[in-house]
Amino acid sequence: MRNLVLNNVRPFVNGKFDNPTKMCLVDGAWADSAPEGTQEFDAKGSLAIPALFGLGLDFKEPLRDDIYTFKDGVDAMRRGGFYGGLYESCANAIDDSLKLSAIQQISAKYGLSIAFLGAFSNGYQCKDLSEMVELAQSGAIGFGDGNQDCSRSRFLRLAMEYGSMTGKRFFFMPLDDSLRHHGLVHEGCYADTLGMKAIPRVAETIAAFRILEMARFLKVPVHFKQVSCGETLRLIEDARKIGVDVTCDVDIYHLLFDDSCLFNLDSNYNVPMPFRSAEDREALWKGLESGVVNAISINHDPVLRQDKEVNFEDAVPGAISLEVALPALWKSLCGRLSAARAVELLSTAPAQLAGVAPAEIRKGSAANLVLLDPDTPTEVTPSMFAGQVRNCPLLGQKLPSKILGTYLGGLWTEV
Amino acid sequence: MSALEIKHLFGLRGVSKHDIRLILDNAKQFREILERPVKKVPSLRGMTVVNLFFENSTRTRTSFELAEKRLSADTVNFTSSNSSVKKGETLVDTLRNIEAMKIDIVVVRHKGTGVPKFLADNSDAIIVNAGDGAHEHPTQALLDMLTIEEKLGTLEGKNVTIVGDIRHSRVARSNLWGMTTMGAHVTLCGPSTLVPRNTELMDKVTWESDVKKAVKDADAIIALRLQKERMDDALLPSMREYRNTFGITHELLECAKDKVLIMHPGPINRGVELDSEIADGDNSVILNQVTNGVAVRMAVLYLLAGGRANA
Repeated sequence: MRNLVLNNVRPFVNGKFDNPTKMCLVDGAWADSAPEGTQEFDAKGSLAIPALFGLGLDFKEPLRDDIYTFKDGVDAMRRGGFYGGLYESCANAIDDSLKLSAIQQISAKYGLSIAFLGAFSNGYQCKDLSEMVELAQSGAIGFGDGNQDCSRSRFLRLAMEYGSMTGKRFFFMPLDDSLRHHGLVHEGCYADTLGMKAIPRVAETIAAFRILEMARFLKVPVHFKQVSCGETLRLIEDARKIGVDVTCDVDIYHLLFDDSCLFNLDSNYNVPMPFRSAEDREALWKGLESGVVNAISINHDPVLRQDKEVNFEDAVPGAISLEVALPALWKSLCGRLSAARAVELLSTAPAQLAGVAPAEIRKGSAANLVLLDPDTPTEVTPSMFAGQVRNCPLLGQKLPSKILGTYLGGLWTEV
Repeated sequence: MSALEIKHLFGLRGVSKHDIRLILDNAKQFREILERPVKKVPSLRGMTVVNLFFENSTRTRTSFELAEKRLSADTVNFTSSNSSVKKGETLVDTLRNIEAMKIDIVVVRHKGTGVPKFLADNSDAIIVNAGDGAHEHPTQALLDMLTIEEKLGTLEGKNVTIVGDIRHSRVARSNLWGMTTMGAHVTLCGPSTLVPRNTELMDKVTWESDVKKAVKDADAIIALRLQKERMDDALLPSMREYRNTFGITHELLECAKDKVLIMHPGPINRGVELDSEIADGDNSVILNQVTNGVAVRMAVLYLLAGGRANA
């Protein structure tokens, strides 16, 4: 449906939520009036929030379309209120312009604003440089090698040095493979009690420091994905003080969970960057408050049921989040931050990092929005999710808020 | 018969004193039966127990199998090396297929932490943990406790020192939970690369880096097996240095009480964690542990099956 009248809705305009009003949504824009007979929806005082931008989309297509497809991913985005996202597949390295244009064509069919990271090494092998100049010319907004650790420092230097010609940002999930050493969970009291192989914080800080030093030396902008501990945020702050262009995000689930969840031994808590201690979680929240953290990422990573219906340590790491991110986090965010900062973290800032125009709600211009009832709880059920995957750590839990519908690219989806 | 509060045996963390007492008291009765000419009782007649071992095991599997047979259960052994697991079958499918054959109890050993709980969440069978990763090995700890009670009368107030690779030891973890619940003072000692760094949740025990201090007041010393792989992983420089620093030797025992019990979960690396003359000496109760293993496993199976029958 392209046209809709939202009654009794509180749109986020000029940094705050307006009093309840009527919004006429016509052909993707907020118009003064709607054609006669346009369907109306009573929002009952719900919030119209600028649609979100998801950092960390991995829809698996084309190589693993048996798991998930772009169609599934776009369906999930519409359910969760995401008008766009930054795509980087951990399984399929986009390491040449042909692969990039192929995936851009698939994406273009769905009309949402999806940007792409190119790989800086062929096949994420950290051995041969990808054709970064051509990738940038074809639309890659930056470079990253999935969640791989590029432990060969000389290659890292050469990749960043060569890539600097493009002016693009390099994206890293900082985790030193050698220190990780088959670890799956945070090295803390829960892992030690359970006897599980664990990842110490220094695996993250040492990797981050190496990258920051390289970024300082080469004057290349870098971004850290899924920062999970306070020490890394301190390194980022220090680097900024000496002029390093470094941005970072924190994963939505790292704001919701800490390593105490390990006692559940639920394989849905097995994610690439481990949930760290309660102190780390608090440090991430403080990073949102202070502005050290630029954005919240969603890292939507579908995993087949049979790869999660195993014991924790044998499960494939990864979690999906598009459908639940906003109702799971909104109230907590607004409990500690202003609504404007919450919108910035979930929508404006991630879009800017990906070089995509932010979603705005403004009379007379394009409207991409998500309609949220902040005070009605939602139970997370399997039917909430697009595609065949269900690997959500919140499955079976109650979220504090509920998405009523989304209006994205001129299409209304009632949830 | 008093019933267990637990429905499965995943580990000893969180298991009540009542349940541990009940298992140990029943094990003492089964221990007596094991001394009789006819060592069999009909307690589990008609029940089927599957021994589902995804990791190599000789003594634990044999001990469980013997316990099951002594209780007159029908037993089936399932090992990953000769099973459909090798053909790619998932753990859940393996369990559901076995369960479809109408089994009652599954005894499981697996390299993954939490596999017993995972199986219980996905089946109706009674699950007994025979070792999951470095997490827990509850029946080993129970047989250790039974052995100490048998020799010293009680665990209450006794000092038990565990020496070795604590970080990777499911035996140490089960023992620290079980023994502290039963009132023993547990001291853990090992090389700094082989002890956990984050012990906030294991705060009822004493951590000691000096092995001489660790054994000084001990009523029982449990030496843990040292895996040779630890050397490959650079966690230790050599077996030689380990033996000289943390091995249970005559020289070390000069710092300990005369009658200190020497225990080991087996199999022993003689001359590494335990010198041969100590392993075979008067203070050693290692073979008592093995005998008690059958009795404890009989008690666990009997009580868990009884709980289900009474439900």
